Amino acid sequence: MNNFGVIELASTKTTHAPGWAYVPDTGPSQAAAALAPTNRKRAARNNQNTLSYSDVSARQDVKIRKELEQLDKDTHKDVNIPIPAKAGRVQQKHTPNVRKILQSQKTFANHLDDYQALLALAETNPAAAAAAALAAGVNNPVSKGGGGGTTAANSASGTPAPQQPPGGADKGGVGGSKRSAAAAKRAAAAEAKNKKKQPAQVEKGRRDEQEDVEMTDAPQTEEPTTETTGEVTGAEKEREGEGEGEREGVQPQQPQSYPRDGTILSAYQRPPPPSHPADNDPLLVSRVPPFPTDDELRALMTAPPLSYLDARAAWGDEERKYPARTFCDVCGYWGRVRCIKCGARVCALDCLDVHREECITRYGL
Amino acid sequence: MVGGRKSRSAGPVPPSTTLILDNGANTIKAGFVTDEKTDEPRVIPNCLARDRHKKVYIGSDLEKCKDFGEISFRRPVEKGFVVNWEAQKEIWDHEFFDDKAPQKCDPSETRLVLAEQPNSLPALQSHCDQMVFEEFGFASYYRGIGPAFNAYQDVQDMFRTPRAPDPIVELPAEVVLLVDSGYSHTTVTPILQGRPLHPAIRRLDVGGKLMTNYLTRLLSVRHFDMRNDTYIVNEMKEAACYVSLDFKGDLEKTWKGTRGERRESYLTGAGIAKDYVLPDSHTRFHGVVRDYEPAATSKARRLAGGVSTEDIITLRNERFAVPEVLFHPPDIGMRQPGLADLVMQSLSVLPVGLWPGLLANMVVVGGNALFDNFIQRLQTEILERVPDDCIVRVARPANPITSTYYGAANFAKHEHVEKLAVTKQEYEEHGAGWVARRFAAGLGVDS
Repeated sequence: MNNFGVIELASTKTTHAPGWAYVPDTGPSQAAAALAPTNRKRAARNNQNTLSYSDVSARQDVKIRKELEQLDKDTHKDVNIPIPAKAGRVQQKHTPNVRKILQSQKTFANHLDDYQALLALAETNPAAAAAAALAAGVNNPVSKGGGGGTTAANSASGTPAPQQPPGGADKGGVGGSKRSAAAAKRAAAAEAKNKKKQPAQVEKGRRDEQEDVEMTDAPQTEEPTTETTGEVTGAEKEREGEGEGEREGVQPQQPQSYPRDGTILSAYQRPPPPSHPADNDPLLVSRVPPFPTDDELRALMTAPPLSYLDARAAWGDEERKYPARTFCDVCGYWGRVRCIKCGARVCALDCLDVHREECITRYGL
Repeated sequence: MVGGRKSRSAGPVPPSTTLILDNGANTIKAGFVTDEKTDEPRVIPNCLARDRHKKVYIGSDLEKCKDFGEISFRRPVEKGFVVNWEAQKEIWDHEFFDDKAPQKCDPSETRLVLAEQPNSLPALQSHCDQMVFEEFGFASYYRGIGPAFNAYQDVQDMFRTPRAPDPIVELPAEVVLLVDSGYSHTTVTPILQGRPLHPAIRRLDVGGKLMTNYLTRLLSVRHFDMRNDTYIVNEMKEAACYVSLDFKGDLEKTWKGTRGERRESYLTGAGIAKDYVLPDSHTRFHGVVRDYEPAATSKARRLAGGVSTEDIITLRNERFAVPEVLFHPPDIGMRQPGLADLVMQSLSVLPVGLWPGLLANMVVVGGNALFDNFIQRLQTEILERVPDDCIVRVARPANPITSTYYGAANFAKHEHVEKLAVTKQEYEEHGAGWVARRFAAGLGVDS
């Protein structure tokens, strides 16, 4: 290619044209919008109805961002207060690490950027990231796996059956047996069910149901059925309800039990609340969610911390749906009127007049 | 590694004294704990301050300062984390290690329990550990997240749960949902048996600082420029602001009305408008909140010929619009959910079975909890969002600012501290990385 006779000389000097940059083009093109025939009547008002957080214009976006940065600053102006020199201070010898830390003038934003860079590096090049982490003295938190604690699960004393009536001494004996406390819980819950649905229970030929049979005897002989069910808390009532339908095929280790079979949280040990005549009312039955199993809890309790950015609360779709609340720039009441020139919100004519005074001075900015 | 000076407390015997430091961005809460007694914490401003006469105050020296006009601060803690150790060391030296320090401490015979904010950056944590051992040389050290320490308190006492007299309080509390609303940000931390559930910790970047700055902006637009008097505005915020239980209604009451109209509620103040008398730094060094007197407002007074020299700012909707940011950050254009939604986001990652327990045991700590109606508003907003069956209880401790300190003090007496604390020998043997991993792993489940 002869390049029209122009010969480019090799040169080390490169010039960048100042004052421009690539800008992502989002939203409809202004030129196209200007050409398209639209109904310009009440355009502002029609547009206002659909205005939500997601479509503030880029200019407003920048303004808001600047204002937020301003709000986030410690001081209005940048101040530099040096450490006062003390006369009698002896110069201590610091270790290299300490000297590096003390001399570091990094801000939190710098540290955050470093951390993000490290994360990005870890994605693309794990080996280099590890080396960088070592060099920086950064240590990614590693969670220690929660060791086996299931041995403690057998201690029945920690988890006696919660709905144990004060007089039911024999039940405590069952709980203290070699069987896990879980079995006692299941049995006790099934006992509550038993009072209502004895035939259904008999149909089930399960291993744990056999335990239930030996469990259920004592309370039934002691008290009339209505009273015992009155003592059953809302939790068990709920289990009754679902037990009829669903529990037939459910494994006993499912997180159905409430209070759960585990040992991480201790069970409710105090006497149940006094009975109430409306306890059996199906309308008043409360739904109690299944309690998480020990494994779930253990996973939660030993999970490693999230990173700084992940822990920031996200702006979900739910919130985005709601229209923005706008306030008067002058007095703080609802921003019901918009300034024609700059789009700022004011509440009424009084405030609009105040706003106009400074809006004119700002004109052309 | 530090050579030569092996501390005397080498060996299995842990130091008997513990220094508790809740190193906040605004104030340090510090005190000593031994087996017998827990000191009242000293609340130390965590800053270097310079007043308009160029005099520099370090930490607790600030109480000697009389004139807070145009005072400027340098804070070592940014966003809740110690970033500038040069300044932080100066303040710690001044408060704990210098010869004339008010809380003299010998690090080689002291254990340090330091509260930090959750979700810190690993680099900052590592700096902190290195400073504690290599520079200050504490004999034993634990750095734990501040919200979790609050579980080592009698939480049920805050809720006034009916109990038997003289109950045996088991620490840590079984289940707590802790909301910590401090100077830099607000965090929600579910805690089970004293262990924070890390995946569910959420942060809202609205704190006391942002609200003070917001009030400063509002006042600068509406009254006069106070951008250089953040300290005074902060006092004003603490004295006069409250959380509105009926935002729309309160806003309506403080509106002057349309052109020419002066509404009755505006003229009388409707119980919302307050006069704030600014400090003049000659006779009055702190501002005073007064009931709004329509007759004594500036215009009438000025016409009367300047009887008084006091500067009065009448606060109307600023009083509740500022704390409203916590519950509705989009009001200032911030794209984050409000505090109640923050709690719901935190709960949403947890199994539903834990919700009832967490919702019934919500504790709010941090300076912002001192706003009037804060806990009532949080309770109503959360009630709107959870199923009807859930009991929602929100409480705040008697002093929400020192609550973390007292929790950490109880922790220092608890057996857990022995499992978690790291000695100087261990640090020298295994290095900073090992210490960081050990602290990050926490208690585990089965201890």
